[in-house]
Amino acid sequence: MKKTEKIKLSISKFLKIIPDRLKRIESASDGRPKPRSSYKPNALAEALHPRVQHLTVTETRDLSSDVRLFTLRPDASRGTDRLAPFSAGQYITVFVRVGDRVLSRPYSITSAPYEASEKYEIAVKRKNNGGVSDRIHETWRPGTSVDVSEPMGVFTYEPLRDAADVVAVAGGVGVTPFRSIVRSVLHGDCAARLTLIYGARDRESLLFFDEFSASAESGAIRFIPVTENGDGAVRGVIGADIISEYAPDTAYSLFICGPQAMYRALEKQLPALGLRRKYVRAEVFGQITDPWNEPDATVPDRDVYTLTVRRNGAEEQILCRADESLLSAMERAGIDAPSRCRSGECGFCHSRLVTGECFIPERCDRRREADAVYGYVHPCCAFPRSDLTLEINPV
Amino acid sequence: MIYEYDAVVVGAGNGGLTAAATLCREGIRTVLLEKHNLPGGVASSFVRGRFEFEASLHELCGVGTADSPGSVRKLFSKLGADADFINEKNLFRTIVTGQDGYDVTLESGWDAFRASFVRACPGAGKSLDRLEKLFRKTDEALRYNDKKKGRPNKLVMMMKYGKFLISASHPLDDVLRYLGFSLRERLILETYWSYLGVPAYELNAFHYFEMLKGYIDGGAGIPPHKSYGLSLSLADVILKNGGEIRYNTEVTGFIYGEDGRVTGVYAGGDEYRAKHVISNVIPNNVFEMSDLKHVPRKDRKLVNARKLGISFICIYLGLDRTAEELGIKDYSVFIAHRQSSRGQADADMGMYVVNCLNVAVPEATPEGTCSLFFTVPVFSNGMMKNVTPENYAAFKSETARKYIEDYEKTLGVSIKDSIEEISVSTPATFARYFGAPNGTAYGYELSGWDGVMARTLSLGSELDIKGLSFCGGHSASGDGFGVSYESGVKAAEKAIADIRGERGE
Repeated sequence: MKKTEKIKLSISKFLKIIPDRLKRIESASDGRPKPRSSYKPNALAEALHPRVQHLTVTETRDLSSDVRLFTLRPDASRGTDRLAPFSAGQYITVFVRVGDRVLSRPYSITSAPYEASEKYEIAVKRKNNGGVSDRIHETWRPGTSVDVSEPMGVFTYEPLRDAADVVAVAGGVGVTPFRSIVRSVLHGDCAARLTLIYGARDRESLLFFDEFSASAESGAIRFIPVTENGDGAVRGVIGADIISEYAPDTAYSLFICGPQAMYRALEKQLPALGLRRKYVRAEVFGQITDPWNEPDATVPDRDVYTLTVRRNGAEEQILCRADESLLSAMERAGIDAPSRCRSGECGFCHSRLVTGECFIPERCDRRREADAVYGYVHPCCAFPRSDLTLEINPV
Repeated sequence: MIYEYDAVVVGAGNGGLTAAATLCREGIRTVLLEKHNLPGGVASSFVRGRFEFEASLHELCGVGTADSPGSVRKLFSKLGADADFINEKNLFRTIVTGQDGYDVTLESGWDAFRASFVRACPGAGKSLDRLEKLFRKTDEALRYNDKKKGRPNKLVMMMKYGKFLISASHPLDDVLRYLGFSLRERLILETYWSYLGVPAYELNAFHYFEMLKGYIDGGAGIPPHKSYGLSLSLADVILKNGGEIRYNTEVTGFIYGEDGRVTGVYAGGDEYRAKHVISNVIPNNVFEMSDLKHVPRKDRKLVNARKLGISFICIYLGLDRTAEELGIKDYSVFIAHRQSSRGQADADMGMYVVNCLNVAVPEATPEGTCSLFFTVPVFSNGMMKNVTPENYAAFKSETARKYIEDYEKTLGVSIKDSIEEISVSTPATFARYFGAPNGTAYGYELSGWDGVMARTLSLGSELDIKGLSFCGGHSASGDGFGVSYESGVKAAEKAIADIRGERGE
């Protein structure tokens, strides 16, 4: 081993600490510090995660009797020069004014990331319940101003994690994130070998049927349409049998997106497919509106509870039905509560449960451990089981 | 709307939380304003699938044990926070590949530390004696300095505590050479340098030794519910003591009186008036939100003279096999392919740290799984040079692949096939959540003229704006969880004296 060379250090350096420091400081400018936005990481963060994006509806197109495609482009006149980039499979939350309230709903971006330099597309299914989707169908026309969130969500293809073969299982309007992935595959941006198994009531309800068929004909993807009556498609309801019939023999990733009922049905059949858990990814699509159907559901002792909502020190009492989420009850009562994904995942609605008990379906409980310890909940997927007091954080 | 409080704390990071908790416990009417919807700043976690990932903490130093508590444990119990810690026996494993490389694991506790070090470096005994003596002398010097209320007799300091003055005024690598450590011994002892974000040839030796002592004395302390659990325990103290926390409330302006005193802040369209404001937010951002005519010229110069601290790229992996099945045995591994910290800091693939929380906290992830947490210090934006918003996602994926493959090669393990969840954060992530300029997680670089000793000696004459105190990783004691917690308590004490009309520091 090399012998350590001797080094002499002097305590006099200690006395120079302050003079050195003062000299360094004195030689600096006394002007305004460089603004945050001039640093690359900050500028990147701003471009990737704008708090709000001001957009304009430029085109609409009916995809079926109750689903309409909306094309959204940046509205420079209101300060949005370009759209935030996203990954195929992500969603945006749209803010919709209903009366004097602003409600928010998440919609998967159904156009592809490479198109984000000019547009997002979202497909909205009209629910005919007087809610947000009706409002969108009734009022969004070319020229309508729309505000949306940054792109969010983790239902994306990641080659480091997912298998090279992907079986995408879609139900109804749940095909929207997959259309983004299909377009990415076509454009050469996504290396997955994709099999799309897409189920709907009938042929007319299969969105983007011609597009997917053309992609399949070109050999870019495999497309297996499934309808209940078998009209122009495989007959049946997507289950383990249909999946295993069309899935490759090698390991594959299963991506699932569709209505709640489809998840619950598929969840039971998944073991039959023998997939490693890491190869199963489900996009929680839409909020749980029938919590009593959850396998771990607890039985409420009343139909309606009193929810005391605390915000910025003020309190307000509202009613919350046992079968509706705390978030839905607040929205019904006209309280602007924060929310984004509405499925427990993103944590944007994170709030403190000061007192009371909730039922939180295990399937959508994406809280942190310490949240449970210290009494925090995600109101979008928490259902009352006693009178409660909730402290929310208005945006 | 106008709200009136005794104290406003801006930012619920580690320093902001302990500041607000200290104020509330003293009965000061306090509001804590936080732009995010969670407390903690970097002391946070996030959930992907069935995994919850620690966002930033490796381990705390100065925790000690329940029987023999260190400063951090004492601080939490003094505040009445029900925080718990798990002690990890090993300090770290450090691997440097190539010629003259090494693979050494050091243990905590003085005896075990010495034994493990001498096992790796048989000739280091005498130098270690000198290092331990320096540690003792440093403690004595600090006690003497406290006794003299920060105005020690210079002659006494020079005569009795000369070695302390040397370590307090020289870079780490020089002082270790001075104590007789060989190159290899120095490199191993300097392993933690990245925790302070400054290579050993620039890092203040005294500062590093204080941290090293904290790790050797008490061992590494790890909170069972991630650092986010610590954040919520502090938030709980604030709420239980009558304080208010307003989340989703970003401060956009600092309000000054005619005499230059800070009298409040603007946030979310409201005005919050206070007798004292504590900022957990870095001075750069505070000044950006201030009418500069109120900011003393010397403080504008100070901020412009300083270099921002480092940021990080972190890779979080949830694996569907246990650590045991994968052959992962270490809680913390430092990996480098170059010898000196100079080479490690300057280069892409310079050095990185990989933690497996399950080794310390087996139930940190669901049964049959484990998680890995890669931390790559980002010293300049060279790594991010070609990143655009459009290729950002691809950049994250490619960077993760590069480090994962390097880890597999270095450790001789195979993890890629077991990845169930993956997430990557970058300086842009830090910039997004904390708003710090350049996405720095460490405040200001602690090198040379702006090291901890220089900052400490300048306390009271810098950033001395009436009605305003600072806390957090950018303050005098530098970055790190423990010191940030302490900085909040100190800022609160200063605020309390100000509010009660007593003379501050």
